[in-house]
Amino acid sequence: MALFVQLLLNTLQISASYILFSLGLTLIFGVMKVINFAHGEFFGLCLLLISVLVPLLTANQLPLASAYALAAIVAMIATLILGAVLYQFAFKKFQRDMIGSFVMSVGLSLLLEGLFLQFFGGVPVKLPDLIPGNIRFLGGAITTQRLVLTGVSIVIAISMCWLIASTKLGKALRAVAEDYEAATLQGIPYRRIALYGFLLATFLAAIAGALLSPLTVISASVGSDYLMKGFIAIVIGGLGSIPGSIIGSVLIAVIESVGGYYFDPSWATLGMFVITMLVLLIRPKGIMGNG
Amino acid sequence: MGESSLASFVQKSSKSLSILAALLALTIGASTGSSFAASVLMWIAINILMAASFRFVQLIGELNFAIAGFVGIGAYVSGLVNVKLGWSFFLALVLSAGAAGVISFIFGYITLKAKGPYFLLISFAFTEALRMIYTKIDYIGGNSGMIGLFPPAFLTDYYAMFVVAVVIAGLVILHQLEKSDFGKVLIAIRNNDAIVQTVGINVHITKVWCVVISSLIAGLCGALMAHANNVISPGDFSFLLAVYVLAYIKVGGESHIAGAVVGATVLTLLAQVALGFGPFEHIFYGAAIVISVLLMPNGLIGLFQKRVSKHG
Repeated sequence: MALFVQLLLNTLQISASYILFSLGLTLIFGVMKVINFAHGEFFGLCLLLISVLVPLLTANQLPLASAYALAAIVAMIATLILGAVLYQFAFKKFQRDMIGSFVMSVGLSLLLEGLFLQFFGGVPVKLPDLIPGNIRFLGGAITTQRLVLTGVSIVIAISMCWLIASTKLGKALRAVAEDYEAATLQGIPYRRIALYGFLLATFLAAIAGALLSPLTVISASVGSDYLMKGFIAIVIGGLGSIPGSIIGSVLIAVIESVGGYYFDPSWATLGMFVITMLVLLIRPKGIMGNG
Repeated sequence: MGESSLASFVQKSSKSLSILAALLALTIGASTGSSFAASVLMWIAINILMAASFRFVQLIGELNFAIAGFVGIGAYVSGLVNVKLGWSFFLALVLSAGAAGVISFIFGYITLKAKGPYFLLISFAFTEALRMIYTKIDYIGGNSGMIGLFPPAFLTDYYAMFVVAVVIAGLVILHQLEKSDFGKVLIAIRNNDAIVQTVGINVHITKVWCVVISSLIAGLCGALMAHANNVISPGDFSFLLAVYVLAYIKVGGESHIAGAVVGATVLTLLAQVALGFGPFEHIFYGAAIVISVLLMPNGLIGLFQKRVSKHG
């Protein structure tokens, strides 16, 4: 029982961050038909900026919590600016060109990762805990800050689903994802919606980064680790499908926490790959993909 | 650009391809032995063949990031055969290409049911999964890999020349295949696979064979590379290798096999200058891809084609 609860808690906290990450990926794909290989770099930039700003701010006598808050806000704004710049000068030209946009984003990803390594150095950083202490729950244990941050992630993921399901912007995004020509004929401004979708996805990556900043070890290549799992999640779930990305994220989180417990993290990653192959064999367009 | 000038360009450039190859062989002949120049020329040659193999799958309109995985399989099999079992070097070459071919058949049979973004993402994951497997098997060196892969003694002084000869043979085979009826079917699949299916050609299995041929060559590249560098480690065969190959193709141009030759030569030479600056290698390849995609979508040979069509 204790073991079950522990694995459940682990799965929950891993899936929360994967959901935020893969929601962004699937949103960009749905709206712009762009596979954004550079998505991990948004996440990475946010984390790296926080890792620089927090020690800087605390050294200037700011309390830890406010240092985190201020750093997170600055880092998220910077990430959004990067997203807007990349959209304007690169992604805008490659909308609805899956292969072309992928190739370009691979280049961008490599370029940005190199620049990060140049500016932020290659030494991994672990920031101090935001909230100290542990919570025991039905025999399982979780650090308080993990619990809080997981809770926040889940709330954000749910409100994002609400935004996409019910608001005017969300409906426009889904209409464009469904059939962008028909959506344009209905008077939905495609270019503006595409920009909003791209920025929303960037924002999600930035939030995921900010929420993970007190938890993970931060290095210049932190984005790539998440990127592969995010891709596996959306391939399993079906590219462009929002429920699919959530199902995929939860599935790989289960494999990672359960497989990581009984075997080894690398074998768990391998397990994800095998499952992806199996899913593609049965449903070549993912679980929720259609057509 | 007119259709006819394109055709004449293709004819011209296949001639220029052989001239380039001869030039390369000549340079290598002048610098045999284990000099640095010979190593660089070997790397160029192997990169050219990898780029050409990657481009071969592009004929069916797919990006095959699993190429790095198959290069890795080739390198590891040749290491296993040559170092652990002590069998002949040439047997190692054949077996490494064969192993990559067999595994790629299974891989292709499953994954080619999907296409476009699904295929490229799964091929990317395949490469990373293989890399992870290498680190887990202690018999082949785990994380640190294998050392002591040397070409046979009588080839040591001429290994660079041998590599170039194999690469040229590989390029000629790929070029001939592309021009053959099989190659025309591949391009037809890229343009419209439904029509190809309606005339009674099995699209799926044709695509599988395309990937198998490309992977045989990739496996061979891996074996050549392993014996050129004398050491292999899992990190050599990450998806980054596939991204570099993509950069060669993008910079050189996709429309003709000469693009692989031009792109790999230019970037490998430039990277020698960039090397030793650490993260600069990432920035270099990243910028190369971004710049060529944004500014010269048809690569360097595309620029050349434009000039040809302007003057002729």
